[in-house]
Amino acid sequence: MDAARVGIITFPGSLDDRDAARAVRLAGAEPVTLWHGDHDLRGVDAVVLPGGFSYGDYLRAGAIARFAPLMGELVDAAKGGLPVLGICNGFQVLCESHLLPGALLPNAGLHFVCRDQRLRVQNADTAWTTEYAEGQELVIPIKNRDGRYAADRATLEELAANGRIVARYVDLNPNGSLDDIAGICNEAGNVVGLMPHPEHAVESLTGPSTDGLGFFTSIVKRLVNA
Amino acid sequence: MSEQPPNTPGSQDAPRRRDASDEPSLEWLGELKSDADDPELQPVDPAVTQAFEAIVDEDDPAPGGGSALFGPADDPSSPSPAQGEGEQPFVPGAAGEPTFAPRTTDPSFASGGSDPRSTGSQGTGASPSYNGQPPAGDAPAFDAPAFDAPGSRAALSGTGPIPSLESQQSAAAAQAAASAASEAPAGAPERDFAKALVAEGTSASGNPTMTNPDLAQAVRNAQAASGQHAAPAGEGSGQNALPAFPEVPGHQPSQPSQSASGEQGRPPEPRRDDPFASPSADPDAGLAALAQLAGAGNAGRARGRHSGPQPSVGMGTGPQTSVGHGTGPQPSVGTGTGPQPAVGHGTGPQPAVGTGTGPQPAVGSGTAPQPIVGSGTGPQPAVGSGTGPQPAVGRETGPQPPVGPGTGPQPAVGPGTGPQPAVGTGTGPQPAVGRGTGPQPSVGPGPGTGPQPAVPPVEDAPLGATAASAASAAAAELGGTDTVAAAAATPERPQPYAELGMKDEEYQRVRDILGRRPTAAELAIYSVMWSEHCSYKSSKVHLRQFGEKAPKTDALLVGMGENAGVVDIGQGWAVTFKVESHNHPSYVEPYQGAATGVGGIVRDIMSMGARPIAVMDSLRFGPADAPDTQRVLPGVVAGVGGYGNSLGLPNIGGETVFDACYAQNPLVNALCVGLMKHDDIKRAVAPGPGNRVILFGAGTGPDGIGGASVLASATFDDESQQKRPSVQVGDPFMEKLLIECCLELFQEDLVVGIQDLGAAGVSCATTELAAAGTGGMHVELDSVPLRDATLRPEEILMSESQERMMAVVEPGKVDRFMEICARWEIPATVIGAVTDTGRLVMTWRGETIVDIPPGTAADEGPVYERPYAPPADLGTLQSDTPGRLTRPSTGDELRRTVLWLAGSPNLAGKTWVTSQYDRYVLGNTVLAMPEDAGVVRIDDESGLGIALSLDGNGRYTRLDPYSGAQLALSEAYRNVATTGARPLAVTNCLNFGSPEDPGVMWQFARAVEGLADACRYLGVPVTGGNVSFYNQTGTTPINPTPVIGVLGVHDDVRRRVNMSLTSDGATIALLGETREEFGGSEWAHVVYGHLGGLPPLVDLQAEAALASVLVAAVREGLLTAAHDLSDGGLSQTLVESCLRGGLGARITLPGDPFVSLFSESVARAMVAVRPGGEGRLAALCEAAGVPVSQIGVAGGDTLNVTGRGPDGDQQELFSIPLHELRESHERNLPSYSD
Repeated sequence: MDAARVGIITFPGSLDDRDAARAVRLAGAEPVTLWHGDHDLRGVDAVVLPGGFSYGDYLRAGAIARFAPLMGELVDAAKGGLPVLGICNGFQVLCESHLLPGALLPNAGLHFVCRDQRLRVQNADTAWTTEYAEGQELVIPIKNRDGRYAADRATLEELAANGRIVARYVDLNPNGSLDDIAGICNEAGNVVGLMPHPEHAVESLTGPSTDGLGFFTSIVKRLVNA
Repeated sequence: MSEQPPNTPGSQDAPRRRDASDEPSLEWLGELKSDADDPELQPVDPAVTQAFEAIVDEDDPAPGGGSALFGPADDPSSPSPAQGEGEQPFVPGAAGEPTFAPRTTDPSFASGGSDPRSTGSQGTGASPSYNGQPPAGDAPAFDAPAFDAPGSRAALSGTGPIPSLESQQSAAAAQAAASAASEAPAGAPERDFAKALVAEGTSASGNPTMTNPDLAQAVRNAQAASGQHAAPAGEGSGQNALPAFPEVPGHQPSQPSQSASGEQGRPPEPRRDDPFASPSADPDAGLAALAQLAGAGNAGRARGRHSGPQPSVGMGTGPQTSVGHGTGPQPSVGTGTGPQPAVGHGTGPQPAVGTGTGPQPAVGSGTAPQPIVGSGTGPQPAVGSGTGPQPAVGRETGPQPPVGPGTGPQPAVGPGTGPQPAVGTGTGPQPAVGRGTGPQPSVGPGPGTGPQPAVPPVEDAPLGATAASAASAAAAELGGTDTVAAAAATPERPQPYAELGMKDEEYQRVRDILGRRPTAAELAIYSVMWSEHCSYKSSKVHLRQFGEKAPKTDALLVGMGENAGVVDIGQGWAVTFKVESHNHPSYVEPYQGAATGVGGIVRDIMSMGARPIAVMDSLRFGPADAPDTQRVLPGVVAGVGGYGNSLGLPNIGGETVFDACYAQNPLVNALCVGLMKHDDIKRAVAPGPGNRVILFGAGTGPDGIGGASVLASATFDDESQQKRPSVQVGDPFMEKLLIECCLELFQEDLVVGIQDLGAAGVSCATTELAAAGTGGMHVELDSVPLRDATLRPEEILMSESQERMMAVVEPGKVDRFMEICARWEIPATVIGAVTDTGRLVMTWRGETIVDIPPGTAADEGPVYERPYAPPADLGTLQSDTPGRLTRPSTGDELRRTVLWLAGSPNLAGKTWVTSQYDRYVLGNTVLAMPEDAGVVRIDDESGLGIALSLDGNGRYTRLDPYSGAQLALSEAYRNVATTGARPLAVTNCLNFGSPEDPGVMWQFARAVEGLADACRYLGVPVTGGNVSFYNQTGTTPINPTPVIGVLGVHDDVRRRVNMSLTSDGATIALLGETREEFGGSEWAHVVYGHLGGLPPLVDLQAEAALASVLVAAVREGLLTAAHDLSDGGLSQTLVESCLRGGLGARITLPGDPFVSLFSESVARAMVAVRPGGEGRLAALCEAAGVPVSQIGVAGGDTLNVTGRGPDGDQQELFSIPLHELRESHERNLPSYSD
């Protein structure tokens, strides 16, 4: 059985692409490097949009990356069911691409915030969270400048009502996100956006925990079983 | 005895592990970069400084006299004479107002650069301090007496428990008064202080007014007599701003108050314009602005409202009197100027206001200045030339506005100015910043400003207007381009070399080298390449020791001489690391200054062919609660984070230190470490005739021109220059692309040589590449991609636009090179080629504008052996030992002291800072702040990794530069070893005042000698470094602050140990010997604001032995935690380890509890031993000769300490719940977050 192939898109300014690749590898899958300027998803089984400051976050976080050539293919594929995980800047790109609703605004404190954040998994049925139990608490680093999730009330209610809030901040809301939202998913559950960085919680040596590995093992297990 | 014998590096049995030889070459010196003389960023031209110093010397009848030191130490006293009335002007604080508590600016301390608080606290110091409660529990740390921000104090005044200054002071005063008679000489200062306090208390109510100009004169005289004001600006300066502006009729006092209030207090410009007292409104204005910044403003403003009538002030009316004080500066203004009102307001008065004087209101009026304050943007002004204040001033001081040519004086001028100019023109702040800068001078003579004229007299005085106009005229004649042919044909044409910071003999040397006058472009190149910044002309003779004394080692793959040294860490890997300063820019424009500081050091590392893998930052600011610190610190932190985070480089550690001496001279030192395979090392060379020279990265714009580049465009294009910021603006996104692009270029072996463009931009890159290659290069300057098409060739050469690199590429590889650049969307352009002519030739529109031997610019700059001598006050400082300070003795006093220190700015948790830095990116960060050292994994499989620590201690170095530098090295070395890493190599950033000050030069020489000696002893070579001079305000330099970085290697990072106490029941042991050492300690600093005596004894042998034990113990897995003892002693170590691990401890102190807890003896570490490992650890210690003792056991949720009680028997001294400790330790800095 071949290992699942998970693509990681590198945009100009992507920073956590190597880390995402490492996490994918640790989870047992084969990381595949994808270039923003191409038009080829290289047949990957899933895609991670990594953290970073694509295009310097100029204009608005994710606003320029959203127009990258490869994003055209990605949006179509995601709508067709391809599992996609957007982490931090990747989450911002997903929102800008309208694969996910809402937007990520500058943190409430207007500072970049890097901390070990406690989260609670709210939906353990998405493509990327099946290895967790609903209500499970995780400690995963969060590090961003524009992480305050915002959406209109109707959208928030819709997200909550349909289990589309994937994770919420616990103990402390680091950025002022509405409803303590740390991550959400699309209706089908194949596209997940998350502000915290699970790829930085995959080794006890370098992370505050290994709680983040579940996002990657979830997709690997799903792909292997598929 | 200022030196410590023990240090003498003998070649004895220095721990040796390398013997191969790779002696660092001496040439590396030329590679060092410093931001010392970014002309535009420096406040004062060296010439100016000299002039002032000269003036001061004349004025200062009894320099160094004991009496001078202690006598009028406090400002208050000095003014008194002036006050004929017996009232003290200053006294700002009426009896009730602590806010204006008299800061004594004890000259003696001043020299030390000690904090203003020192004064206040000193008095306090005595037992009184313990009367109050440690700020810790009850009040915000910042409210602690130690920090007497005006505002906070006021606030505190009401609070009982908190040791507010006032309470302390008054207590101290009383006490001091009581004991005055019996005091030993050392106590003298305090006595005066106490008296002053008492006096103030009384006089405060009725404000004395110095209406009479004569009074001002009297004050001046008095000050001169006392010798203080020579250094008013100085250390203590924060407080006594006055002295600086003697002229001010009748005002002086006021400022002190303010200054006092803001510890940072130093008047922006410490220049003594007195002599030339020509009433220029400027000074005042500047002060006012500063004052505001200082925070005095707030108080002032509030009050100000009442009294609208500034005019009255001006007049010297009764009330004014009061005003007067406050406004010291105004007077000056006032003097000649009817306008004072105008001036007054913004200016001087405010401070005054602070004082609480009636008139101030005038100030309060909301005059221009206030705006500044109000907005909280004091500094910002820097940017705008037309900042709020100026307007006010403006009128009177025509000149300012005209930043341009006539402005030189701005500094002086600027009401709002002080800072403003700096930025805008590059002037204002300069004072603060630096001197050394040619540019200002140029400005100097400017019309409009009375005082400045004074400057001109100085020997190096800029040509000034004359030269400028001549130059521009000449340029005009030429139609803009000064070609080699034209230069040869017009040998007598005057050139603005002095404006560019060149001395007569330097200019003549250029003429001799070229056999003709230089063209404008050539002059530009030589002026920047021969600047202190690029040539290290003042420091070279001392820095050579790093090479001469370098220990033999085979760890250095590339010695000093390249952009950064390269260290072999084994397994085929090499790392390169370096730390650089960006101090001056960061004061002017905190965010961009700090951001581009990170960007610059990262490009340096890239230039070696390495992938940057982490950054660190060592930051120093004025008092934590000073308003200006609250401007500078958030900006700097956001800048460091904003740039580093965007590059995807983890920030793994550093320092954040507060001390009044850095109030207007913040230190922003950034370190970057890069990784490469041995084969990938690149060098900054340009060999191979025919090879192409490619400039790639960002376009070249007008930014930074006038930064390190001194070519004032006033000479070429006045208008355009006025709008140009002198601080570069960073684009981290471009740099990120540049990093990835360069790594691909390296990977495909497409470059022969590479150089980053930093200070002096294209000038530096081309001359250095050419000089290091086959000696020749031809460059078509018109092909440089521009962001501003109007740039002239001289400006292109000088531009310090960020995110640019220059590579030398073989012709056959150019196409591939361009492809990779295109992939990363990096503009790249061939601008020339390597030749074998031995000449650097540049053309502009077909004409030759540069034709020089590149080596003469790059490597053959002037070298100065500047005179040096110990600072006059050193003996006094060293003899003022902390032994006279009352110590806590009861359990309760010790407990409160533990909490107090834990929450003091320098020791408190720095989460507010570090949480703005990404420490996770790249996924290899094993340890990061607040751990002793940052640890990064290099190889996933083998676990190979590195550890880095960056440390400095300005107080120690002030007390003894030779030891201070060694102590910084000791601490960094110890920190690295504490994680289990073997220390391997050293980098350094030497932050000092003006090299033209013999005292500073002496500090520098001694520090370098100490560092070189210690490096040799410890067997860790210096791989490179950076020197930053001119960190001073007026004649008051910062505490000399060498910041030392030590790199260590972990064979397997998985074995590393951190500081967290997490193993319940683990034995806690203390390694090393504790002596009674409090000179320069945090305890003396925090509790008493005291700086005196000698720093802890350096013991390199013990340091090496301790490191060997730690490394061995970690390798053998004997430890579950380890944390070094340094600032704050065992107390702080316990606090940090307990809180970090969330586990308490039961500790039994050996010997004197106070000494055990707070002494800062070197070569010590606390470890938690893995059960069963005690015996083995003891054996390791015995073998290495390291004293070891069990001091406790980890466990519980409190820090419980037992020891010898006051009555001699063993007893539980105190117990502190962790939550209470945490409360004290962590609530400090957040005050910035909201």
